Amino acid sequence: MTETPSPQQDPAAVERAVRAAIAVVAPGKDGVASDAELMAQVGLSSLQVMDMVMEIEDQLDLSVPVNVLGEVRTIGQLTAALIKLSEEPKP
Amino acid sequence: MSLFDKFKDVAAIRRGLDGSRVSPMATPMQVLHSATEATIDGRRVILAGTNNYLGLTFHPEVQQAAVDALRSSGTGTTGSRMANGSYTLHTDLEAAFAEAYGWPSAMVFSTGYQANLGAISALAGPDDFILADADSHSSINDGCRLGTATVLRFRHNDPESLDKRLGRLGEGAKRALVIVEGLYSMLGDRPPLREFVDVKRRHGAWLMVDEAHSFGVLGERGLGLAEHDGVLDEVDFIVGTFSKSLGSIGGFCVSPHAELELLRLTSRPYIFTASSSPSVIAGTRAALRLALAGTDLRAQLWRNIERFYSAVVAAGYTLGSRDPGPVAALVLPDTATALGHWQGLLDAGVYANLMIPPATPGGLNLLRISLSAAHTDAQIDHITGALQDLAHRFDLPQAKAG
Repeated sequence: MTETPSPQQDPAAVERAVRAAIAVVAPGKDGVASDAELMAQVGLSSLQVMDMVMEIEDQLDLSVPVNVLGEVRTIGQLTAALIKLSEEPKP
Repeated sequence: MSLFDKFKDVAAIRRGLDGSRVSPMATPMQVLHSATEATIDGRRVILAGTNNYLGLTFHPEVQQAAVDALRSSGTGTTGSRMANGSYTLHTDLEAAFAEAYGWPSAMVFSTGYQANLGAISALAGPDDFILADADSHSSINDGCRLGTATVLRFRHNDPESLDKRLGRLGEGAKRALVIVEGLYSMLGDRPPLREFVDVKRRHGAWLMVDEAHSFGVLGERGLGLAEHDGVLDEVDFIVGTFSKSLGSIGGFCVSPHAELELLRLTSRPYIFTASSSPSVIAGTRAALRLALAGTDLRAQLWRNIERFYSAVVAAGYTLGSRDPGPVAALVLPDTATALGHWQGLLDAGVYANLMIPPATPGGLNLLRISLSAAHTDAQIDHITGALQDLAHRFDLPQAKAG
């Protein structure tokens, strides 16, 4: 429904938002590699992952259903999932 | 490779607690003496870590009702509510809940956990949305997972965060079920319910309040936070449990919408389980009568809460909630201090709850004290006296400042 590219669809901007969110919920852990697993390697707890998602929602003004997280393990996968979400028509 | 490899983190947490003589997890209770005393590790202790807010588990009327039903109707129903498990006892209890709220429909579930699973998973379908508080109880989260709705979370106790998320849904907000709890059991805090009501009304969303810990405790008749805050007319569904103030096991969902009855045909956790035993239902019915009329029990509970809070705040402890309530969470600096407090209290003859990461919000280390109307002044003073000693023994900075 958006005709001009929104910041939500710019991969670099989305990844910046993800890293900013990690910095809020787990200070010092935002510099990890894009393919690092958020829970197994970065060491985020499931509650921290949920808090991170709320940060991202507020930064990108985007709804991120909890269900989307099921298949997401890394920052790269999360960025891709967020871009895909932002391209979906709103309810 | 083993199926159990995935449990290595939890195994490490368990090993960390192994040093205790008595385990703080699944603590064995050998004999129950009353609503507030049990034998643990061979010693009689005060129970300050139950959810027995009104102290009804040993009430003679409740026990007698349970015994009578056990004799008259047998030990179990051996079947689902859908089949052979709907006795007059069950439907009478549902009618009593409906009448208490003045609403047309009430359903009883076999546990409180299943009440949330059953109501949430059935109410919100694939085209609907659920907006749940970030600190929701696992039964709410699991109800969301069992269902097919799109699930979003808003920041804990933050109506503005809900507002933003409902706003993003646009027209979809009219198919959104907002879920909050009347009293959060980890920190003992309550939501700004009136503000949540304003937000959901503005967006045309639906509101469910889980009164598991607030039923029996808040409100003139003990109906919970929605009654206390005067917003019952704005609530679409109230869920609750029998295993706290009502002293048994089971759960309920009540609604001003008569269509709730249709969940009896669609809610899997309601259908695919056996209904509660007659003695459980009869005991709950007696406890409900006492809880609704229990203005004196609530007054006693709140006197105990005030007595406890003023003493532990004076001792220098930080509590998880500014509002005093039946759940008092002492926020401690680290897991070792929390475990030391748990063990120290048990040594002093007091059983409390240890709450440590990863189960706690914000990674907090908590010692949770639950208060009951059945606690005597002497018991409260014994608990707070033990905590005063522990504050000094662990050299808590707040205790020194005080």
